[in-house]
Amino acid sequence: MEADVHNKKTPWEINGSLAPAELQRNNRSESPTPGLVEGTEPGARQDSAMFVHTRSYEDLTGGEEEKRRQESDETDSPGQSQMEEISKDFSELSTQLNRVVMDEEIRDGEVEGTVSCRDSALSDKEEDVTSESWRQHRKHVFVFSEAGKPIYSRYGTEEALSTTMGVMVALVSVIEAGKNVIKSIHAEGYKVVFIRRSPLVLVAVARTRQSEQEVAKELLYIYYQIISLLTLTQLNRIFEQKTNYDLRRLLSGSERITDNLLNLMDRDPSFLMCAVRCLPLSASLRDLISGALQQAKDKSLVFSILIAQNQLVTLVRKKDQFLHPVDLHLLFNLISASSSFREGEVWTPICLPKFNSNGFFHTHISYLDQASSLCLMLISTESEHFFTISNCKRKVLERLNKRNTFQTLLDGLQTPSYCVSQVGISDLRHFIYKSRSSGLFTSPEVEHPYVTQEEQERLLELYQHLYSRIHNSSRPLKYIYYVGQRENLLAWVTSGFELYMCFSPMGTKTGAVNAITKLMKWIRKEEERLFILNPLTY
Amino acid sequence: MLMISPRMTTAQEKQFPPSLQNFFIYNPKLGPREGEEEKKILFYHPTEVEKNEKIRNVGLCEAIVQFTRTFCPTKPAKSLHTQKNRQFFHEPEESFWMVMVVSNPIIERVNKDGSTVVEYQEDELLDTVYGAVIQQCYSMYKLFNGTFARSMELGGVELLIQKLEKFFFRYLQTLHLQSRDLLDVFGGISFFPLDKMTYLKIQSFVNRMEENLSLVKYTAFLYNDQLIWSGLEQDDMRILYKYLTTSLFPRHMEPELIGRDSPGRGGMTGNLHHYGRFLTGPSNINDPEIPIRFPRIFVNTKDKYEELHLIVYKAMSAAVCFMIDASVEMTREFCQKLDSLVGPQLTLLASDICEQFNTNKRLSGPEKEPHFKFIYFNHMNLAEKTTIHMRKTASMCLTSVHPDLMKILGDINSDFSRADEDEEIIVKAMTDYWVVGKRSDQRELYVILNQKNANLIEVNEEVKKLCATQFNNIFFLD
Repeated sequence: MEADVHNKKTPWEINGSLAPAELQRNNRSESPTPGLVEGTEPGARQDSAMFVHTRSYEDLTGGEEEKRRQESDETDSPGQSQMEEISKDFSELSTQLNRVVMDEEIRDGEVEGTVSCRDSALSDKEEDVTSESWRQHRKHVFVFSEAGKPIYSRYGTEEALSTTMGVMVALVSVIEAGKNVIKSIHAEGYKVVFIRRSPLVLVAVARTRQSEQEVAKELLYIYYQIISLLTLTQLNRIFEQKTNYDLRRLLSGSERITDNLLNLMDRDPSFLMCAVRCLPLSASLRDLISGALQQAKDKSLVFSILIAQNQLVTLVRKKDQFLHPVDLHLLFNLISASSSFREGEVWTPICLPKFNSNGFFHTHISYLDQASSLCLMLISTESEHFFTISNCKRKVLERLNKRNTFQTLLDGLQTPSYCVSQVGISDLRHFIYKSRSSGLFTSPEVEHPYVTQEEQERLLELYQHLYSRIHNSSRPLKYIYYVGQRENLLAWVTSGFELYMCFSPMGTKTGAVNAITKLMKWIRKEEERLFILNPLTY
Repeated sequence: MLMISPRMTTAQEKQFPPSLQNFFIYNPKLGPREGEEEKKILFYHPTEVEKNEKIRNVGLCEAIVQFTRTFCPTKPAKSLHTQKNRQFFHEPEESFWMVMVVSNPIIERVNKDGSTVVEYQEDELLDTVYGAVIQQCYSMYKLFNGTFARSMELGGVELLIQKLEKFFFRYLQTLHLQSRDLLDVFGGISFFPLDKMTYLKIQSFVNRMEENLSLVKYTAFLYNDQLIWSGLEQDDMRILYKYLTTSLFPRHMEPELIGRDSPGRGGMTGNLHHYGRFLTGPSNINDPEIPIRFPRIFVNTKDKYEELHLIVYKAMSAAVCFMIDASVEMTREFCQKLDSLVGPQLTLLASDICEQFNTNKRLSGPEKEPHFKFIYFNHMNLAEKTTIHMRKTASMCLTSVHPDLMKILGDINSDFSRADEDEEIIVKAMTDYWVVGKRSDQRELYVILNQKNANLIEVNEEVKKLCATQFNNIFFLD
């Protein structure tokens, strides 16, 4: 059955624009992106997807949310009632919706242990906000309330920057007074991007090559990050009751999570791609692990997720429930930002804003190994089910230990994921391949010459730039080939997949065209290892 | 991520192109105290806007500029993007700010229930293009009026306000914001290709004229709206060229097109020996009733600050600009001398150039419709060449390609301007057109190919061929 799927004629080798013209003429039809039908590209899931199928980009930039907000501005806020309707739909899942606690109890449990780390970072925060070095930061991020109360600043303390944020709020409101919306300010070498998600305003000052939309997308991640700690309902309620509330009181200790998210976005292409990277693993091993997670089920469990080093090992979900990549990224970030989870089992409320921004899930988080590289997250709807879920974790471990699965997995973690040289294309330095239907992507380790952190961020910036050009909202492109002094780059987007490749500057165009075919063949050959083809449900 | 082309219009859809919402000039130093804000404003379009709104809009611009100085004191904001419009800021002289507000294009849809939905297309305008337009506004103003500061010195704020109103009242009506593109970013000059002999002939003609008409300080020579010789500095010539080719020449083209030389200007009456005529100055130099006045222009405003009479004289397709120091009074005798001296020689020269031009055309064989179109620009000598733009008229520049493709060229150009490196970008648009941009050593070349089935390698070969035939002496990165 599976072999069938694989033997199907896969047209990606000869489709599109890169193959000699004679071969593709038949394929070129009315369809603007011929060839690959979505769902048959390498890495496409065989049965069903595990993520919400997003058109990622549009979804994130959230035109709809904005429209909804504007509508609600005009007509005595039906937005609120709409929210309530939505929350009703999810009422089974959202547990504590009506007894949201306004105090710090919740936060305490979670951020304990992170506060001390925060202290060491304080020196970083208390820099002189009038100094040249402060100005030169690659990306500033500011979050404040609509009343202008500072909530977060990436560099410099909120106190020192309260005037700056005050000016930002003034700009936003002056332009809104003219029935208009401020989007961004552009100057030579940097841009200032504004997004408003009532009751919050988020602003970035970026010296990167990212487009306005890409920066706005990152700000939205920060917004969702805050929602994931509070829920939108609670956030709204707080500011309804007291418009000049100092939200930092509630979020204290969580700055580190936001800092970490921003740093992660500067380095990890997952956010740019709006997709999830899987840990390369043999299909049989992954199936065994998925099986273990599947068996350890409970009525209240919605998702069981196993991750290693910001890569997905496997995910088992309740039937008909899908996780949004954004939510999974926020979970990844939470894990990588907090050391407290290493201490033992943690039971913490988490809001998954894309799933339901109005309620908390209760998540059991624990590391399975001594080195804290394998993290298990069991997401439940019941706040009182700690012991039940803890028992599930025990069952997972038991099953994993049974057939030595666990040791094989740990051994696998010792070696780096994979090198680009395994593909066997001489001028190829790095690539990102995303299967659009499954929301998964794969890319090799970043190697020479991108060794320093600065160089790695530069490489990601090149990808970000390609991405924003090829996904330009008014002038999208199909294909980009760039020849520069330091590297040659290629980007290709079809309805089935997205491919970004980085070549040495010595590479030729002929070489690049051949490299695509070779790489696609290699990914098809390795797809069982690189992707999760058989996601399970309980 | 398939996008529906924004230009697909149905019966229920109405499109509105970008348009000029506001244009104002202010100087914060002129009204520093509260309650005096109105004094800052030197010019405001449209004039009928209520005073408080003017003050508010100027205040917002000041605030934005000031705000961005927090992050970079030396490089403040250049543009502001909002849902409905874009605002472009330009400080051409210290403390003098020019602001242009351009509305985003709009699509208006009528729903089934009869309600209308307005969609602002926030990503359609290119900052580089409109940033260049506002700079052009200043350059054009300065060409005919000199600097803001000099006007202030001569006649205070009143004189400056008067000059601004007189100039921009008319000029703003000719902005044609919807047809601006990459060519405005370059602001280049199209040069007429010539063989050495003819070039020498023109040079010796210019020398002779300057010798005989000793008052002449600078000369420029054009043929077919293309430049051949100029004694002006590059930046002054670039804006004078813009004026000549987009404003003055098109206004005088129509009579020639219908096969009849303009009877008005230059006094053709009684002069059957040549086709020369004045494009500026009195409509008839032999009529004693008409005063002898030529437009004044200002050049070298950074150092020498020269004010000049601009005399444009044309015979057939050849045009000469004579520039004479403004302190010299222009007389009827001088004009008559110029007419009798330049007229016959320029007529002769024009037909020489025409002949040579036609021979060259014949030699290069019959023109086939090429499957590519290109724009070339050289930052060093401002030389520009385009096969995309068909014809410049007073009202607009017609292009032969889809506006979306022009915007892709603009995107590539702004990628290039980021770093001073040799680069090449090849992209395939959703419409399957290939667009190639190359930048090498101050030169930029953009090619649009409509071989939709070509692959990257074939596209590369095509562009190589084009470079070899059109630019055989220029090295481009492969």
